[in-house]
Amino acid sequence: MNEMVKVDRRDAKLALAHIYVAFIALALGGLAGLLQTLVRSGKFELPANISYYTILTTHGVLLGLVLTTFFIIGFQFAAVSRTAGTFSDRVRFWGWVGFWLMTVGTAITAFFILIGQASVLYTFYAPLQAHPGFYLGLTLVVVGSWVSGFAIFAHYARWKKEHPKQVSPLLTFMAVANMILWLVCSLGVAATVLIQLLPWSLGLVDRINVLVSRTLFWYFGHPLVYFWLLPAYMVWYAIVPKIIGGKIFSDSLARLSFILFLFFSIPVGFHHQLMEPGIDPFWKYVQVVLTFMVAIPSLMTAFAMFATFELYGRSKGATGLFGWLRKLPWGDARFFAPFVGMAFFIPAGAGGLVNASHQLDQVVHNTIWITGHFHLTLATTVVLTFFGAAYWLVPHLSGRVMTKAMNRLAIIQTIVWVIGMTFMSGSMHFAGLLGAPRRSAFSTYGNSPQALEWIPYQIAQAVGGTILFIGIILVLIIITNLAFFAPKGETEFPVAEVAEGAERTPLAMENWKLWIGITVALILIAYTIPFIDMIQNAPPGSKGYKLW
Amino acid sequence: MAKEKMKGKATEDSNLKGTLASVFLLGFFLIFTWVSVYYLFLERL
Ligand code: HEM
Ligand SMILES: [Cu+2]
Repeated sequence: MNEMVKVDRRDAKLALAHIYVAFIALALGGLAGLLQTLVRSGKFELPANISYYTILTTHGVLLGLVLTTFFIIGFQFAAVSRTAGTFSDRVRFWGWVGFWLMTVGTAITAFFILIGQASVLYTFYAPLQAHPGFYLGLTLVVVGSWVSGFAIFAHYARWKKEHPKQVSPLLTFMAVANMILWLVCSLGVAATVLIQLLPWSLGLVDRINVLVSRTLFWYFGHPLVYFWLLPAYMVWYAIVPKIIGGKIFSDSLARLSFILFLFFSIPVGFHHQLMEPGIDPFWKYVQVVLTFMVAIPSLMTAFAMFATFELYGRSKGATGLFGWLRKLPWGDARFFAPFVGMAFFIPAGAGGLVNASHQLDQVVHNTIWITGHFHLTLATTVVLTFFGAAYWLVPHLSGRVMTKAMNRLAIIQTIVWVIGMTFMSGSMHFAGLLGAPRRSAFSTYGNSPQALEWIPYQIAQAVGGTILFIGIILVLIIITNLAFFAPKGETEFPVAEVAEGAERTPLAMENWKLWIGITVALILIAYTIPFIDMIQNAPPGSKGYKLW
Repeated sequence: MAKEKMKGKATEDSNLKGTLASVFLLGFFLIFTWVSVYYLFLERL
């Protein structure tokens, strides 16, 4: 029973390939991020006429889209292979097809961004118009991710067939839920790219319905953030308890929260469009209510995490209200990095509640507050959890072990990230409250007194950004070491077990037909009428603009 | 300090007072942030 379960070597190669691309994206995207903060401080200008928006598009696409999608799919392949058994040759073959589609797509998109023909930012909002190659590359990335998603579904279906009347392994269940979420939401971005943006950039049609394209984008864009977050939750619910030596607080609660995320993360895209004219306030209100429903699984998760830690700490004899905190393995980077990620989700979530409230969004909309917000959610909570996972996943897959020295470096890396992000994101939040816009290079706006107020915060952002860039160099050193240079050996892929006293998980949890049915029903309720309205009462549409 | 109950395993195991306190603190923080920005909104009306 106690022998170590390993991911099959061939599956490991597939997972590792994804992780390499993710970290290459981190290196290049991080450099772009550093340049942005330096430009925005007013003390530095980009050389050789490079546009700020070329850099910013590179940063957003590489870190928001490429790093995330590649890491997540690689991690999920590994987690499914580890918990539901080695892939068949066919599943693995399609996994590689997915990988190459995504990689070639990324290369094409990156090419057109870097030659300056696609400075449309990672949201590619119309009427900004990129070279068709940009949209084509993105399409390949999405199609590749679908292929990988179906490979995971096929493997899951085989497991279910071979284990009738059994509940599937938790991590496999979670990966399947996340890929369903991804599939349902990416249909929206595929629709706007294939039906609207691509024909329009090819010159086949002249004008585009801007509101429809933005709505389809955010139909995709909000669930996208949950597609990033759920793998982090997989680590928190199903892996961190094992690392600290504890148990999963409740398997059912973990599955239920994933199902609730599937329901409530899609029909809520309007909370990104609260300031957009042309959408009836009633439907904005409906989607804001649904948005606040996401607070339920989020608070469930917070509760489950606190409970896991407290139960463990008390089992080790901790006393007092918070004594259990001291029993946690602070010196273990596999725990420390994800834990810091969790802690940062508290201010991140608080900011999210502000963003989602219509009136408060008027205070922060399109300010650098928003950028500060998602550098907490994505660039700290999610990314630190991924780093923490990589610290055992990469050596597990490469057949190596993390040395004490590397573990220490990983702890330092986490602390560096905390310091850098506190400076950068903190000053972004404050400058945003004072009205500083996001997505703009340095300007004093004709020495307007309001814009001059922002400058100290912008300098603090550059200080934070520089510290963060050091953090990126450190994590790249650690990952390169774990992949190629660390001593050979066996590293555990930790998978936690459920606490003894916990309720048994009901089989009904895997009634996917019902869950998908409810998801689709909620989407139809939230979107049908406003969508018809947008098409029936559409203005003439817009020509494309290339502002470079 | 309060070790008297160490023997009553069932109750000691399911002591989640710290979790309750943590969740409350979390809730207060969320409300505090929201209300702060709400006041900023009102001030700028
Ligand atoms: C060295 C570390 C980093 C620095 C210095 C940095 C800096 C910045 C800055 C200054 C902006 C906003 C610029 C503007 O709006 O004008 C930005 C935007 C952004 N960052 Fe980062 N960032 C870093 C890491 C990350 C990471 C790790 C992620 C994601 C995993 C990320 C994702 C994004 C995204 C998606 C945007 C939005 C781009 C847009 O508005 O189009 N960043 N970053
Ligand atoms: Cu959202």
